[in-house]
Order: sequence, then C-alpha cells, then structure tokens
Amino acid sequence: MDYDLGPDAEALRTKLRALIAAHIPDDFLGACTDDPEDLALTERFCKTLAADNLLALAWPEEFGGGGGDVWQQTVVREEMWAHHEPRGPQYMGINWVGPAIMRHGSDVQRGKHLPPIADGEVIWCQGFSEPEAGSDLASMRTQATVDGDGWVINGQKVWTSYALMAQWCVLAACTDPTASASRRITLFLLPMDRAGVTTRGIPSMLGPHHLNELFLDNVRVGPDDVLGQVGGGWRVIKDALAYERVGIARYARCDSLLARLRESLGDEWDRLPGGLRSRWVRAMIDVRVARLLAYTAVAQQESGQPDDATASIARIATTRTDQSVAELLMEAVGPDGLEGDRHAVLHGAVDDHWRYAQAATVASGTIEVQRMLVARSVLGGR
Amino acid sequence: MLTRLPSDVVAFGASARDRFAALGGVGLALRAETDPAARAAAGEALAELGAWDIDVRADADELLAAAELCRVAGTVVLPYPLIEQLLAVEGNRLALVDPRRPRIDHGDLDGGWLAADLDGNTRSAVTATRRPAKLGPFVTRAELDAESAPVPLGDVDRHLVLGSWRLLGGVDAALALVTEHIKVRKQFGQALAEFQTVRFALADAVVAQRGLEELVKYTTWRLGVATPVARHADAIALRLHADEVATQVLRCCHQLLGAIGFCDEHDVSVLDRHMQALLRLPHSAEALAERLVPAVSAGELESLFVTA
Repeated sequence: MDYDLGPDAEALRTKLRALIAAHIPDDFLGACTDDPEDLALTERFCKTLAADNLLALAWPEEFGGGGGDVWQQTVVREEMWAHHEPRGPQYMGINWVGPAIMRHGSDVQRGKHLPPIADGEVIWCQGFSEPEAGSDLASMRTQATVDGDGWVINGQKVWTSYALMAQWCVLAACTDPTASASRRITLFLLPMDRAGVTTRGIPSMLGPHHLNELFLDNVRVGPDDVLGQVGGGWRVIKDALAYERVGIARYARCDSLLARLRESLGDEWDRLPGGLRSRWVRAMIDVRVARLLAYTAVAQQESGQPDDATASIARIATTRTDQSVAELLMEAVGPDGLEGDRHAVLHGAVDDHWRYAQAATVASGTIEVQRMLVARSVLGGR
Repeated sequence: MLTRLPSDVVAFGASARDRFAALGGVGLALRAETDPAARAAAGEALAELGAWDIDVRADADELLAAAELCRVAGTVVLPYPLIEQLLAVEGNRLALVDPRRPRIDHGDLDGGWLAADLDGNTRSAVTATRRPAKLGPFVTRAELDAESAPVPLGDVDRHLVLGSWRLLGGVDAALALVTEHIKVRKQFGQALAEFQTVRFALADAVVAQRGLEELVKYTTWRLGVATPVARHADAIALRLHADEVATQVLRCCHQLLGAIGFCDEHDVSVLDRHMQALLRLPHSAEALAERLVPAVSAGELESLFVTA
C-alpha cells in the first residue's frame, strides 16, 4: 500500500500554493460576493493558471489541456477549494462542461467552446433544477417545442448558480414529454444573451450569486445548439456526474480553516472548553477520513472501474464533515462569528463557511439520494 | 497511490477465515466463556496459520499480514490475545494498560505479561484470576510489578493500530449479519430492507465502516513513513475513530435486529459483548480524544495544512 500522491502531485501542490500566495489576497472569500473586484480577481487568476497550463490541467492535451493525471487533478481540486476557489465560477466549465463537450459535442462545438474554457475566458452555468424538479430531474417541465428545424423553449430554472455572471448555460429541457424518462431530456448550449433569457438573483443566506432564477420565454435554439443527441440529455448528465463524481473537495477547506483558526487563536485555543477541543480532535479525524474516502473514488476513476456507491460514500462523509466543522468553528470563535465582514476573524471565513456548509447536504445531489445509492449497492432494490 | 492490500495478504486472510470458521466462528468465542479448551484451540489455530512467525516490527509487509490476521480474528472475536502475543517482548505478552486501573484481556492465560502505558512506560504484570462477566468475559485485573525497560513508542503504535484492525473485523461481521437479516426479515408484509428508514440507517453504517477501513489502512502505512510524534498521534486517532465507529455500527445493528440481537444464539450479541474489552482498554474513546488535544495544539496530528 502507498498513499503518497507522487512527486508530480506534491510539486504541483507547492506550485499552486505559491501562485495563490502571490495572486490571491488573504481576505479573499470567493467570487460570490457583492464586490465585483472579487469576480475580476478570479478572472485574472484563471488567465494566470491558463498561462501556466494549469487551468485545464486535467484535460487531454489534444483539447488544450495539460494531460494531468487524476492525482494532480485531485491536488488542484483540494488547493482551489481550500483557498476559496480562486478560479471563481469557472471551475464548473473546467470540471464538467468542457469534458462533456469533449465527449458529446460536435467538432464545431469543441472548436468554439473548449479554447475559451481552457484559456479562462468564459463562465458557464447549468440550468437543470426547476421549481418542480429538484432531485427528480426527470420530471422537469421546461419544454422545448419543435419549430422549423429548431425548438422554442419555455420554462423556468431555479437555484442556477452563477447565472448572473455566466455567458453560457448548459440548459436541460424536455423535447419529448411522451418519451421514457431517460429519453425525454435534451441539453442545449445556450448563450445567456439570447433573446428571451432573463435572470434574477435570489437573496439567500449563502450570499450573492449562489442561487438564481432563470426564465426562458420563447427562447429559440437550433440543431447546432444541441449537446449530444436529441433526447440524449440524461446520458450526458450521467456522464458529466461520473466525470465529477467526487465533487468539490469540501474536506480541504475544512482542513485549511481548522489549521488557520488554530493558529489565529494562539494560546487562546488551549483555553477553549475541553469538550470543544475534543470535538476539534474528532473533526480533524473526520476530515482525514473524508479525504481518504475521496481518494478511494479517485483511485476507482484511475482504474477505470468507478462505482456510484463509493462516490456517494465519499460525498456523504465530506458533506457531513463540512457541516460539523462549520458548527465547531462558529462555536470556537463565539460571538465573533456573527461578524461576517472582512475585519472579522479570518476575514469572515468562519461566517462564510458556516453559511455555505448549510447547503452541503443539499447541493449537487442531496444526502438522501446518496444514501439511497449506498443502500442500493448493499441491498439491491430501489 | 495504492490503497488495496497486497494479494498475498488477502490470501493469507482467506486462509485464516477458513480456519476460524472450522473452529466454529463466533461460536468458539461463546464456548470459550466456559470451556478453557476453546482458547487453547484458538491458539493452536493461530500457530498453524503461522501467526507467530510474523515479525510485526520487521517491515510493512509483515505488519500488513498481521493486520489482516487481526481483522479476520475480529470477525469472530477470536478468544485469544493475538496482538499481545504478536508484540511479545522476550516471551512476555505485551498489553496496553491504564496504569491507574490496569486490566488485561485474557490475562489469566499461562505465560508472563508486560504492561505498557501509551507513553511506553512498562512494568511486569501479575494477573489475577478471571471472574465471570458478560462484558469483558476474559478481562482480568492486574497488579503492576517491577519496572521494566520502556517499550519503543512504535510498539505502542502497532498495538493500537492492530487493535483497530480487530475492531474493523468485528464491524465487518456485525454489518454483514444485519444486512442479511434485514433482507429476509419481514414486518408489515415486506422485508425490512424495503423501508427507507432502515435503508438509510444501514447506509450510514456502511459509510462509517468504509471510512474506518480506509483510515486503518492509511494509518498502517503511516507507521512506516511518518515522524515518531506524528505516527503516535495517528495511532491514537485511529483507535479513537475505531472505537466510535464500532459503537455506532453495533448500535445500528442492535436496532435493526431487534430482540434477537441481544440473544447469545445470535452472533451480534457475542460480537458486541466480546468487543467491549478492546473498546475500553487501555482507554475509552473520550480519554483518547483528551489525550490527542495536546497533539493538536502541538501540530502533531498532521493534515494537508498541518505538518509536525
């Protein structure tokens, strides 16, 4: 057995930390803030990474990527999330939109969309969830009705992260309501400035840009906008989920925040209530376990034999850890955690983490869905 | 990155599994409560398997072989001080104890004993006669006698890690039993496995078991690569986690099994009772967590962002 990620991965970690230290200020808390400079900072940083061939490190070289292995991808995922995702919303284009276009897109789509993603020049969002279709995507109501050689789309999407920032959207719509659930949905690559597309931010505890509504009012799309096959959207989504099965490395930010707050508290840490310090011990172990479980899913990906249950187990562990660490950090800082501005402890990172962690067991596949998958792997059935 | 056990280690574990099954599996542990010959049979089986030829201090491969053997022994709560004998010093079995309340599992067996605390401070131990008990049926009181040369901290770490492998084996067995039970046990006209709340409870137990499995493998690897202070913290952290996962999974199993799970005719009852000594000796979970607090303070519990 060997848990060493290898010299390439560790060298990459060192390099990424140096880049982050040089380009990202200590008080950076991600692109999703009220300050447009934070988004601008991520756009500049994406270009910095792209210049070093690090932004699309995981992509095959033929598509402008760095040809990195899964462990290097893991390091990127960890370091970026630990440092409040300085790629901003562009991580979505890199992590799954680009790979989905590589696999299912036409040559024209690849040529049009992959270079700007790899160069850090475009933000994508995904239009999947609807008011009546959350975990149950097959019941979505947004309708694409045939019109000439294309379609007219009407409907509404919701929770659409980064919709107000994005230039493009991977939009899921129903092209055949009479078809089976797996043949009902088609994916469209939709420019956000197309006539009939409007967006509205939803104020939330998560902060700006995380949750939005997307309204589609007689939006025209053509055959060239279809990603994959008409009626083949579900397959593309499943592929995309498989590509990004481990999800964001929430454990890495927990790890970083525990370390930073421990250092920030100094001797005060030793005066925290004993029960809290015991929880801190357990939190560090939970973070380690979550990381190891994520590695099992990555190792399966590397061997070409991924299974749903392993990825779900990793997600359950990391999302629960995210929430328990969030609560622990808030308790450790006491009333200071109620001050969320950049003059607060860790520049507001404790408050920011707590708020975002509340959605950990809901976003990108609820914990209930993950538990269903784990149970099915052991018991069969539903 | 290679997270799978070597194939020869897996094969060794399979041989041990067959051998312990031939002895009666968990039934041997139950019989050992009243029949001294049962523990002797367990010892003989271990000797036949070559357990005493394993040098756990030699290298990573030997340690892994011992670890897998401990896991398989844990699946049947094999009634024998396997780890204590694997780590024997000059023929004396090595037990980890809390010096304030020294207890030794299987301390009544013939042979000399050394008792070490978690810092490696070691004394020879004189054990008392075993008294009947539901929990810890083989636990004996011990009196610490003459001071002995301290055992290396590495031995303490190996002890804690191998004990965690044994606990993992017990968790594996309990989980397998309850999984089969809920597939066939019907209530309200359907198998328990059809109820979502049951499925979710089992899923949570599986997540805990898989997490422990990964942590125990990782920590075993760390014993060969981490600094002494870091691997000591790792070993304690592992044992703390193993204790808590075992407690969680056993609780889940009892709840899903219902009354049958408390009966000694069901293996989970015996597994639970016989795992209690390992769960509480030399220290229970909270004491281990408290012990790790200074390690966190000193940066000895390493992570992606903490290096000792």
